[in-house]
Amino acid sequence: MAHPSSSTPPILSVTGFTKHFGEVKANTGVNLDVLAGEVHALVGENGAGKSTLLKMIYGIYEPDSGEMQIDGARVEPGNPAEARGLGIGMVFQDLRLVPALTVAENVALSLPGGQLLRLDAIAKKIEHASAQHGLAVHPKAKVRHLSIGERQRVEILKVLMTGARLVILDEPTSVLAPQEVDALFSVVRQLRDSGFGVVIVTHKLGEVRAIADRVTVLRGGVPILEGVDPAGYTNDELIEAMVGRAVDTIQADRTPGAKHDDDRPVLHLVDVRALGDRGHEALKGISFEVRRGELVGIAGVAGSGQRELCEVALGLRPTSAGRVILSGTETRRPTDAIRAGAVSVPEDPVSDAVVSRLSVLEHMALDGRALPRKGVGIDWAAIRRKTHTANERMQLRIAPPHRRVSELSGGNIQRVVLTRELSIDCSLVVAAYPSRGLDVANVNRTQEILLERRRGGAGVLMVSEDLDELMAIADRIVVMHDGHVSGIVDYADFDRQYIGRLMLGGAA
Amino acid sequence: MTGDVGLIPLIPERTRVVDWHRVGAVTLRWTAAILGALAIFSVLLVAKGSSPTEVFVDMWISTFGRAKSVEEIIIKMAPIVLAALAVAVPARAGLTNVGGQGQLIIGAVAAAGTALLLDGMLPGTVVFILMIVAGMTAGAAWAGIAALLRLTVKVNEAVSTLLLNFVALDLLLFLIYQPWRESSTGQPSTRELADAAKIPVVTGTGVNIGILLAVIAAAAVYFVLNYTRWGFRISVAGGNPEAARRAGMPVAALLLSALLVGGALAGLAGMINFAGTEYKLRPGFGASFGYLGFLASWLAAHKPLPILVAAFVFAALAVGGDSLQLDAQLPAATVNILTALILVAVLGWTRSKEKAL
Amino acid sequence: MSLIIDVMTGAVRGGTSIMYAGLGETVSERSGVVNLGIEGSMLMGALGAYIVTVESGNPWLGVLAGALTGAFLSAIHAVLVVWRGANQFASGLTLLFLALGLTSLFGSTYVGKSVTGFSPIAIPGLSDIPFVGPVLFNQDPLVYLSFVVVPVIWFVLFRTRAGLLLRTAGERSEALSVNGYSIRTVRTWAITAGGALAGIGGAQLSIAYTQTWFENMVAGRGFIAIALVIFASWNPIIIMGGAYLFGAALALAPALQARGVIVNQFALDAIPFVLTLAVLAILGKRTLSAAPDELKRVFENAPPAKT
Repeated sequence: MAHPSSSTPPILSVTGFTKHFGEVKANTGVNLDVLAGEVHALVGENGAGKSTLLKMIYGIYEPDSGEMQIDGARVEPGNPAEARGLGIGMVFQDLRLVPALTVAENVALSLPGGQLLRLDAIAKKIEHASAQHGLAVHPKAKVRHLSIGERQRVEILKVLMTGARLVILDEPTSVLAPQEVDALFSVVRQLRDSGFGVVIVTHKLGEVRAIADRVTVLRGGVPILEGVDPAGYTNDELIEAMVGRAVDTIQADRTPGAKHDDDRPVLHLVDVRALGDRGHEALKGISFEVRRGELVGIAGVAGSGQRELCEVALGLRPTSAGRVILSGTETRRPTDAIRAGAVSVPEDPVSDAVVSRLSVLEHMALDGRALPRKGVGIDWAAIRRKTHTANERMQLRIAPPHRRVSELSGGNIQRVVLTRELSIDCSLVVAAYPSRGLDVANVNRTQEILLERRRGGAGVLMVSEDLDELMAIADRIVVMHDGHVSGIVDYADFDRQYIGRLMLGGAA
Repeated sequence: MTGDVGLIPLIPERTRVVDWHRVGAVTLRWTAAILGALAIFSVLLVAKGSSPTEVFVDMWISTFGRAKSVEEIIIKMAPIVLAALAVAVPARAGLTNVGGQGQLIIGAVAAAGTALLLDGMLPGTVVFILMIVAGMTAGAAWAGIAALLRLTVKVNEAVSTLLLNFVALDLLLFLIYQPWRESSTGQPSTRELADAAKIPVVTGTGVNIGILLAVIAAAAVYFVLNYTRWGFRISVAGGNPEAARRAGMPVAALLLSALLVGGALAGLAGMINFAGTEYKLRPGFGASFGYLGFLASWLAAHKPLPILVAAFVFAALAVGGDSLQLDAQLPAATVNILTALILVAVLGWTRSKEKAL
Repeated sequence: MSLIIDVMTGAVRGGTSIMYAGLGETVSERSGVVNLGIEGSMLMGALGAYIVTVESGNPWLGVLAGALTGAFLSAIHAVLVVWRGANQFASGLTLLFLALGLTSLFGSTYVGKSVTGFSPIAIPGLSDIPFVGPVLFNQDPLVYLSFVVVPVIWFVLFRTRAGLLLRTAGERSEALSVNGYSIRTVRTWAITAGGALAGIGGAQLSIAYTQTWFENMVAGRGFIAIALVIFASWNPIIIMGGAYLFGAALALAPALQARGVIVNQFALDAIPFVLTLAVLAILGKRTLSAAPDELKRVFENAPPAKT
């Protein structure tokens, strides 16, 4: 590993960055320094303050206090353009390219220049830079036609061509397939060897070990580890730094007695194929079943087909082949699934469940069951009673019924959806990332409710990005990789390493 | 608890609390908006060499001071109210119906066709009812073309309804210049509707009962949107179609039905304008009631009861325009400036800015 | 043969105002904003050009005035939509009413006044080419100007930085702010420039094609232009062809009537709209996939991106 001499000042040095949004202490006294020729991993759970830190460095937020130096000189970038002028380049997680434009046009957008676009000259520059940094791109291809990995390469190239010496990659691997991750890492290594400073945000330990020279861990906006060599720490120590506790989740009772005697499948997928939103084949022949009284976890790298799987099971997405059978009847439409007794927690409640003008009470009526009638109208008193009962039973403390849902935070919205869906008497629960946006107490409560539904004889299909959560409560884990089921692991065989290999598409 | 009242609004708590500060702020902004519009209009009148005070006094007197003008306002109001409701109902389902004008024209064409065919054979009342049915059905069908285009090939309804306006207008002109033309000399038009089939007039006035139909329609739309299951469902489908789909609602059918209802209301507007006011199809039939309705609905934030007020304002302005021509020798269309300025002020300065691009 | 030449000559003369407006609407929509007020900008341009030409005797000054008045009206649209968050359809129609009112107020004294505007000028040599000559090279100066404007608009849109920014505003506006540009500024300029083009279209109508002014003389040509933009999938070159095609539909009836064939004008008038609807119905998804992404968002009533 490259270890530059300590006499040259770091490219970037942040000391004591603090940023509070009202009650929320996003960053408190955060330090970060990045040397030329090193890869510095910035690690932490969702909400640990990583994005806030990056936004301050990139001039989007102004820190409440603290200071920042570039090459030893104090700087205060007031906006991203100024930050770029200082040699800071940022590759956002949601890539900021314009799909309808070509690679060259996208690059031209961020390069200074005259009114006339010299696209051929830019194309030449791109080819030159892409050869230099090992980033293969076609300058005249439309971005719309590129894969996510290719788009990321364009973003990195763009950042390099605008003269960045410090490259910040915000969770670059979360959208990539494993082989693309390898390609990205070889690019990152090449950048490091050519003397660039690289900050890579991640929450995957394996990636820290694979690529980082040093690591900074944030938890709750506070630095726990500051620029340490990860080799000096065990995995458990790093995890503890991230989550602050020895992972202490519910351990479900998986004794066979907990299973229902009648273990007919409530969900049966037979060689299901389906297209994703971008027209690619997202499910490539999925077969498994969820029986009554069973909690099946779905593990996999983000974008392996989990979303499409849930939607297919609920009749929300048409299949191109295969059969989806809920409680013995074939499901093709959302109403089929509802009639078969399925309830669901969507992956993204804000875009899939929230109707901005409506109140909490009105959302409680959107459970897919028939609206209680009162003449030609709706019996709101009945829904109010139902809401009250559900809230008592679920104990997730939802917001008052008259509040507009659009005014609630993500966690509050999630609690409304969870309370509504999980209070319904059902045969199948399809829960995508049910604990997203919740605090620890509510995460535990949600897991308890899911286990209650399981004990009550429902089948539960639960998608999570947190393998520990799945291992704690699932009876079986179905591992998905690139639209396939790469393995199905029973409780008795749960093993992190093994499941991790399956997630990456490794042989079973 | 509200459960005993019988009808519970969708948004129980919110509508119950009157926030006087908000009411005050809203009133203030509206007043400022209207005063601003009047001020700019005055400046333009001065630029043209007219005296604003004289013009305003004349307009006011001849608009509200004469029984004939007031009747005229009420007559014009009916089609505007219905055309505005034709925008408000689809708007609840998240659809933009720019096609009120075309649906209104087609409604009138269907009503006129029915009358031309039958008013000599059947009793007036029967023809009257058949005209209503024909007008509403045709308006709905015309909107249905846009709905189908949206549901099958995803053509946006704002574009298709807009284009269909002109197809409807050309169809109207085509018919009255040739197949339905009464005489080949003079102004092209259809023959006049038989007296028995005309919309009855309130005794002692020149006002036809179209306004009654319009007010009933506004009340009905208010009730349906706010107190029925269909009204709730289209708000959900309009607010977030994915949420509606996940809740098992037939989203396509809901959008289709909302646009069809809108078209039927505009068709009724056309029928009323035909059988209540103009009695024959001629070039320029329907003025720009469809577009005025569109703007009235926006002025009223797509709420049925405020639509009555907005439509009254626009109808009064339209009548005021006629008096402008008589008294101040200014073209009647001048009054469009005032209509537009009020809307500019309201669209730009009375709503929250959160939705700015 | 002479019928075809007549129709095509009429198509070019009558289609040019629609072409200018279509180009203006393209510029606006390429930046992500629909402008239904384009009909109003044409009206304003028609009157502005007429007044200035009558008063100054110089039709080129008239064209300038037409462009400015057209731009003025669209600039209000820009303020309302871009800066005040007004609904695009409501704002556009409102401005049409504003234009109707303003032009009837200030135009009333010009009704029937004679003007010395642009007349067709035969280009020596070129106008003698059979068929093409009379159709394309015996026209008024604003038609000739349009032969230059179309490629210039194409070039600006696709080969200059201004065009790149404009298209980015229409395709993915966040990419502008990320690179330190203002989405609002870019859109404001695009909408205003679009209004100027529509104003020139109006000028062609009043001081070249008809050489007269009367109330509401644009008579829906702006809406034909809106149809044309969709028909031409937001491409300035296709706009040119489409404008002539639509112009031919409008020129057919008078040409036939001059030969004693009675046709109902209005069946032909509907052609641009029916044709555009047919294109949308048949190629619906394909046409819309050519639409700028931000424009699709407008159409789908989705919340606008945060800036």
